Amino acid sequence: MEEVRIGVYVCWCGNNIAKMVDVQDVAMEVETLPNVVIARDYKYMCSDPGQDLIISDIKKHRLNRVVVSACSPRIHELTFRKALEHAGLNPYMFEMANIREHVSWVHNDREEATRKAKSLVAAAINRVCWHESLEKRSVEINPATLIIGGGISGITAALEIADAGKQVYLVEKSAQLGGFASKMCLTSPFMYSTTQMIRAKINKVMNNPNIQVLLNTQIEELSGYLGNFTTTVSEDGRDLELKFGNIIVTIGLKAFDPSVIENYKYGILPDVVTSLEFEGMLKAGKIETRDGRIPRHVAVIHCVGSRNATYHDYCSRLCCKNALKYANMVRAAIPGANIFEMYADMRAMGNGCEELYSVTSKKNVMFLMFDQHNGLPEIRKAGPKDNCDMIIELDEKLSGERIEVPADLVILMVAIEAHEEAKRLAQVTGVSMCGNQFFIERHPKLDPVATTTDGVYVAGSCQAPKDIPDSVAQARAAAARVLCTISKGNVEVEVTTAEVNEDRCCGCQTCISVCPYTAITFDEEKSVSVVNEVLCKGCGTCGSTCPTGAIRAQHFTDLQILSQIDGLLEKSMELKEV
Amino acid sequence: MSKENSKPKLKMAVYWGAACGGCCVSVLDVHEKLFDVTANADLVFWPIALDTKYADVEAMEDDYIDITLFNGAVRNSENEHMAKLLRQKTRILVAYGSCAHMGGIPGLGNFSSKEAILKQVYLESSSTINPGPVYPETRHEVKEGVLSLPEFYNDVRTLDQTVDVDYYMPGCPPQTERLLEVFMAIVNGSELPPKGSVIGALDKGQCDECERKKSDNKHIREFKRPFEIEDDGETCFLEQGIICMGPATRGGCGCRCIEGNAPCRGCYGPPDDVPDPGAKMMSAVATMIDSDDPDEIEEIVSQIADPAGTFYRFSLPGSILRRKINTDI
Amino acid sequence: MEFEPTIVSFLCNWCSYTGADLAGTSRLKYAHNIRIIRTMCSGRVDPTFVLESFKKGADGILICGCHPGDCHYHEGNYKCLRRYHLLKKYIKQMGIEPERLHLEWISASEGKQFAELVDRFTGSIRELGPSRIKEVVNTLS
Repeated sequence: MEEVRIGVYVCWCGNNIAKMVDVQDVAMEVETLPNVVIARDYKYMCSDPGQDLIISDIKKHRLNRVVVSACSPRIHELTFRKALEHAGLNPYMFEMANIREHVSWVHNDREEATRKAKSLVAAAINRVCWHESLEKRSVEINPATLIIGGGISGITAALEIADAGKQVYLVEKSAQLGGFASKMCLTSPFMYSTTQMIRAKINKVMNNPNIQVLLNTQIEELSGYLGNFTTTVSEDGRDLELKFGNIIVTIGLKAFDPSVIENYKYGILPDVVTSLEFEGMLKAGKIETRDGRIPRHVAVIHCVGSRNATYHDYCSRLCCKNALKYANMVRAAIPGANIFEMYADMRAMGNGCEELYSVTSKKNVMFLMFDQHNGLPEIRKAGPKDNCDMIIELDEKLSGERIEVPADLVILMVAIEAHEEAKRLAQVTGVSMCGNQFFIERHPKLDPVATTTDGVYVAGSCQAPKDIPDSVAQARAAAARVLCTISKGNVEVEVTTAEVNEDRCCGCQTCISVCPYTAITFDEEKSVSVVNEVLCKGCGTCGSTCPTGAIRAQHFTDLQILSQIDGLLEKSMELKEV
Repeated sequence: MSKENSKPKLKMAVYWGAACGGCCVSVLDVHEKLFDVTANADLVFWPIALDTKYADVEAMEDDYIDITLFNGAVRNSENEHMAKLLRQKTRILVAYGSCAHMGGIPGLGNFSSKEAILKQVYLESSSTINPGPVYPETRHEVKEGVLSLPEFYNDVRTLDQTVDVDYYMPGCPPQTERLLEVFMAIVNGSELPPKGSVIGALDKGQCDECERKKSDNKHIREFKRPFEIEDDGETCFLEQGIICMGPATRGGCGCRCIEGNAPCRGCYGPPDDVPDPGAKMMSAVATMIDSDDPDEIEEIVSQIADPAGTFYRFSLPGSILRRKINTDI
Repeated sequence: MEFEPTIVSFLCNWCSYTGADLAGTSRLKYAHNIRIIRTMCSGRVDPTFVLESFKKGADGILICGCHPGDCHYHEGNYKCLRRYHLLKKYIKQMGIEPERLHLEWISASEGKQFAELVDRFTGSIRELGPSRIKEVVNTLS
């Protein structure tokens, strides 16, 4: 084996790390470890000068391994691998120690944090000694794209890609395109007609020769990988095989069912309606009670299922500005009506929204605040003397009084939830979900449209509650990402796959059924297992299952991880004595 | 009888530490080939077969013996003394058999402690009458002089936990054919493998030699013991719910147990780079459990009455944990 | 001086490691005793890693993977779960308090749960006291 020469770089991350970890001390001490040729600390390792420092050291000190101790490898591992490549080193001769997310940001004791950082860096140094050069593999990108979900996001992305001359398969579960946006009457805050907007888009989609729309269709199973996915859908009773290189998931949202909140008596009192049902009334052009009367008192209740520990902690983002829109539309339709906005906090943010709020507040609309923690407003049927259909009782926060408000129509601003198909599609596509079953993007700031699965992108409200402009922006961003890979023609893929040592494999076949991707098959002639490295996604489960030690999970080999453990526990013990 | 050999004869020794004697018998099992052995080697020390004394060994020059087959684990001070002495006097020291290699069956003593073992043997076993009670002493003065006994250790050790070892020849006992192959290779001056290698065994696991039909259908809903199944004599034991150590065990024995319709118990030890065959086999066997439900998994796991004894039958002292940590848990 | 346990933790890349990252980005504070090792999937966690960590001085070992049904690789976490149950039984036989090994599911969004888990687990190991494994394994007696 060639002499191992390691360069170690401890990042300050400005003050983010340096405040809690004595980075200079870490660098000084780990420099004493075997094989470490040079150890430095620097303000921002990920900056261009930081990367240049590594590159010049590699050349100057003939380094053949690099450890960067900085943020999470999930953020900058690729950045630094690229730097190694620039210096002519194989990118896999690199290891990262996470001393920001896992140390400086989560601990209070500088001495302990510094000690912990040292042990993590020692572990990375020990591990990187056993890293091996891996050759990158590139795969061709099938220029077709599958888009799952025909709402505003799916439609937008489809048009964007098709307009660039590339094939799109647009799959929609229901019988028509348009999704949730098409159920709205006007947009908020600028009051465009949603119908007109969407219909024009749908027409464009239907007439675009590059878009094949598959209605009443669901994706049950998916095989392949970035660049070369395959699925089978049924069209008119016939199986149709689709092949495509990228996927954009735009399955949209689901409305919260308010019947679980007893206070609101939704489903019991006929004139308690959801915001979605009210949109239906607006579209029909009639604001009226179930029995056809014009309501004299209209109440709009915010945060129904949102920002409430019992239902959803998150804010659904769209409800406040839509609620303001409703106040305006009720005022326009029924000039004499009493309008009540019962809100927990007014969160109508975004372009034009604050203005809408000011305008609305001048239209004789009563804003009443309630505190979610102190109980929700309670709706009851009014008595015979009450001169209204319902009474809403609430603890009004600003006045501090318990008040009663008359209502003939109550609109519940229901929360936005993840689509009921989200979980199933997460499994089919391999996209991760958050606890609320929204899909998780690869990085919340730096990569908000890609997912943890290569070749799969997300857009729209399936990732988090979004309004139309945000959904459209994300859909176009996803389309741009897809077009980028298509125009490149091929893409480099992870090569950290499993590998069978044929001289060791005894043919017990324990590994075969363990693989979730059927990437392992048995070669009867040689009597050994064989890994199809294109299908293998590198989970490493077969490596820990193989009782003979014949399967290596590359870049996560037993030796690498055992060395890391050794560095973590034993090498760092030596350091404390320095 | 073989022809006179002009080369100087090898000097060979065989010694037993904590062992059952089976390894020495496996050497005797060369039968008529013994003549080939004696034609090429002088047996200079072999307590079970020759009238040689420790003093004879002590009198030898360092590296006088060309090859020593040390079988048995190191259980007491006598074993340790002889291991060190033979190391000093021997050029090629071979850990011969499972006990010297990984601790073997005597190594299961590491589930217990010195104190508990002596108590059981000298006080509590139903056949013991020891009103004294008298315990073994390493030193006892009588009027004729001082009597001594080796000290019984708390831990059973492998040979390489005691002295530097050149090669390992696994098996309980090693197959005599393998011994002859190794012996003749040394005699013929073949290039020896790197120090620390396992010799007289294959690189691959048992399954490579095993003739039972294997498939990927390894889904276990119930662990069974051999008497609980109607073995068809053809299907992989693991596929019948029987724990077979075969995949985590080197081949070379000729699948003796499996040929006899008993699952492999692991005496040949792990293939290279597997530090702990028990851990690897536990991983593989647990993965085969056909359930995703925690309670059900626990129930199925509970059917393995003695995981430590099953997966580490021959390898406890040589395994990562080496012995029971707290004997009171 | 109060006993400060050493905790080694194996986290899967997609859920639990990301969850631990989220605890960081959310600036949640938790016990400093934990040392995290990343594997791509909890299914990669070989019992050898666990035993070796104990041998090298870990007082407690925490394995985390994606919640059932959420594994990035479909079912690696179930493989981990099965091994965990067998391993627990084994270490108990070896005279190690089974509580020293713990498996829990942490999703990418559960930064808070991760921080709480680390504190809880560290506390339980602190209560259990130092592990004798390293000392016993490394001392022939």
